[in-house]
Amino acid sequence: MQKSPTDKAVYSRSGIELKSFYTESDIPQEHRSRVTSNPGDAPYHRGFHPSGYRSKPWRIFQLSGFGKPEDENERIKFLLKNGETGFIMEHDRNTGDHCYNVDHPEVVARREDVGLTGAVMQSVRDTAICMDGLPIGSSFGHAGGAVVQHAPFALASYWTVAKQRGFDLGKLPGTGQSDFNLTYLGCVTKEQIPTQPGLRFNADIIEFCDRYLPYWVPVSIAGYNAADTGLTPDQELGVLFANAVEYLDEIKRRGSVDIARAARACGGVSFRASIEFIEEACKMRAARLMWADLLHKRYGISDPKVANLRIHCVTAGSKMTYQQPLNNIVRGTLMALGAVFGGVQSLGVSGYDEALSIPSEHAHQMSVRIQQILQEETGISNVTDPLGGSYYIETLTAQLAEKAWTFFEEIQKQGGYLAALDSGWLHACASENQYQEFMDMERGDQQVIGVNCFKDDGSPFEVDGFMGTDDAFDVATERLKEVLRTRHEAGAASALKRLEADCRSDTNIMPAMMEAMSAEVTLGEIGDVYRDVFGNWDTPIQT
Amino acid sequence: MQKRILMAKTGLDGHWRGPTIVARALRDAGFEVIMIGMANTDDIVTSAVDEDVDLVGLNIGGHIDVAIRSIENVQAARPGLPIFAGGTIPPHAAKQLEALGVEVYPPGSQLIDIVDAAERLTGIK
Repeated sequence: MQKSPTDKAVYSRSGIELKSFYTESDIPQEHRSRVTSNPGDAPYHRGFHPSGYRSKPWRIFQLSGFGKPEDENERIKFLLKNGETGFIMEHDRNTGDHCYNVDHPEVVARREDVGLTGAVMQSVRDTAICMDGLPIGSSFGHAGGAVVQHAPFALASYWTVAKQRGFDLGKLPGTGQSDFNLTYLGCVTKEQIPTQPGLRFNADIIEFCDRYLPYWVPVSIAGYNAADTGLTPDQELGVLFANAVEYLDEIKRRGSVDIARAARACGGVSFRASIEFIEEACKMRAARLMWADLLHKRYGISDPKVANLRIHCVTAGSKMTYQQPLNNIVRGTLMALGAVFGGVQSLGVSGYDEALSIPSEHAHQMSVRIQQILQEETGISNVTDPLGGSYYIETLTAQLAEKAWTFFEEIQKQGGYLAALDSGWLHACASENQYQEFMDMERGDQQVIGVNCFKDDGSPFEVDGFMGTDDAFDVATERLKEVLRTRHEAGAASALKRLEADCRSDTNIMPAMMEAMSAEVTLGEIGDVYRDVFGNWDTPIQT
Repeated sequence: MQKRILMAKTGLDGHWRGPTIVARALRDAGFEVIMIGMANTDDIVTSAVDEDVDLVGLNIGGHIDVAIRSIENVQAARPGLPIFAGGTIPPHAAKQLEALGVEVYPPGSQLIDIVDAAERLTGIK
C-alpha cells in the first residue's frame, strides 16, 4: 500500500482505491442486505456457524519435515507435544515432486539438497517410519503430495500405512493437496506430467475418496501458491474458483460422483494471509460468499453443508524478511490475525527464519505459540466475525468479490484455467506483479522494515539457517537398495504393469496405486511410468 | 559489445520469482541473459564455456555444498570468470561463498545493487 500525501490516491494490494474513511453509503447496493445477515446465514461471508471459534477453534497446522523419515516423525511429534492440533507431512522436493528415486542422476548431482525440504519417502516402508506413532485416527493429517504428479503416491502410501495399522479408511480424517497453483504456476518442477493428465489424476482422487474415504479432503486448491508467486488478493480468489470449476466440470462430465458431494469435497481450500491483514480478512469473507454464489449459479447447489467452504491459511512466506529475522515474529502474528479475523478453519504461521531456511525447532515452536497466544490470551475467539458490519470491511469484502469475478472471467476468456496455465498467461500476470512489487520497494513507495529502511540491527540474537541432518541421502540410498532387494519382485512387477496399463487407459489410477504401494513399488518406478505415458509439460515461464 | 550473463538455479526447487525478476532487471539494463533454469554442475559448466559468458548468476535454494561444487567447477573451467549468487542463502553459507570470491545478494537485496554489481563485475563500470 502506498504512503502518500492526502490528495494522492491510495490503493489496496488488489488495486482498489481506498477512501480515508467509510460510511454506510459506501457499501455497494447489492451487499447491503447481506450486512444484516448473521453468521450461519447465506451467503456465509460472516462464517458458517454462529458460534464460530467458541465451538471449534481453528486448527494449528504447520508444514513440517526434513531429513530422514524418522527426523520428520520426531519434529511432528515435537509440534504435537507443543500443541499443534493437526500435522502436515512434507516430502523431499527433489525426489517427491519429481517422482525420482534418490539414485536418479539429477538427484545424485544435488545429493546434499536431499532431505532439506522434507523427508525422503520412496516406498511405503519410508512412509511407515515417518508415520510411526502419529495419532492418525484422531488427528487431522496432511499426507503431503502438494505437487499433482506426486499426490497419488503420497496419498496411497499414507492410506496403505493406515490400513496396515488397522485403521478403517472409511473413517480416516485428513487431507491431500495436489495443487495446480503450486505445480504449474508457483513452483514448477524440472519434469512433470502435463495439465490434462494432472486434471485426470485429481478427478481420480476425488472419485476414489468419494467411494472409500468420505472423511478425507481429496484435493485442496491453494490460492496461497498463486498469491505468493505474485497474484494480488482479488486474483488469488479468481484463480482459485477458476481452478475449482475445472475439477467440478470434469467430475460432472464423468458423471461418476454426485456433483454436490464432489463440491463438498473440493470445498477445502487454502489461502495466503499476507501482511495487509485487513484486506486479507476481507478476502476470506469474500471467498465464502463467492463459493456459495458459484455453487448456486453454476451447479444449482444451495445446501449449506455443501457451500461450507473450509479455509486453511498460511502466512505469506515471501513477506518474511532475511534482514532482522526476529521482526518476522511480529509479521507472522499480524498475518495470523488477519486470517483469524477472516474466520479461517486452520492456520500455519511461517517460521521467523523463513527467508533463511526451513524452520528450526525454535522457529517452528514460535509459529505454534503465536497461534496459542491468539487463541488463549487475546479473547479473539469469543465473538464470531468480529469485524462484520464495519462500513470499510463490508465495502472491501464486496469490492474484492466483484474484482475477483472479473479476474475469473478473464481466465475464462483465456480458454479457462488450464489453458491460462499452458499458455503462460497466468505466469505473465504474476511476473508483472512481482516486478511492480519490487519497483515499489526500490522507489521507497513500499517500506519494509529492516530491508529498505531502519536497517540498523541491534539484535544480540543470531539467527542462522537450519540445515536439517546430513545423512538423508546416504540413508535413503541404502533403504532404496534394501526395498528393491527384499520385496516380492513378481508382485511389484505385476503391480507396476497394472499401473501402467491403467495410466494408458481411462481407468481410475488409484486402485492400481494402492496395489503398487502394498507391493512396495518405489516412487521413481512410478515416475518412470508417468514420464513414459504422459510426457513432460512444456513450461511456459518466460525466462 | 553486449555483455552476457548466464543464470541458473542450482537446486531442483522450482520457485522462480527471484531469478526471473533479476533476469528482467539485467535485461532492462542492457545485458544479454542466458537463463538455463534448474541446472546441475555439468550443465552450468558447459553453458559457461560454450556461451562464452562474462558473468555467472546462480540462484541457490538448497544446500550450499551443491552450489560450491558448481562454483569450483566453473572456476576451474573458466578461471577468473566472476560469479554472483542470490536466493535462500543463510549467513553461514554466504560466508562460505564469499570466501570463494562469490558476491552474495540475499533476499531483500535491491535490484539496483544487483545491476550495479553486474556492471562492475563485467567491467562496464
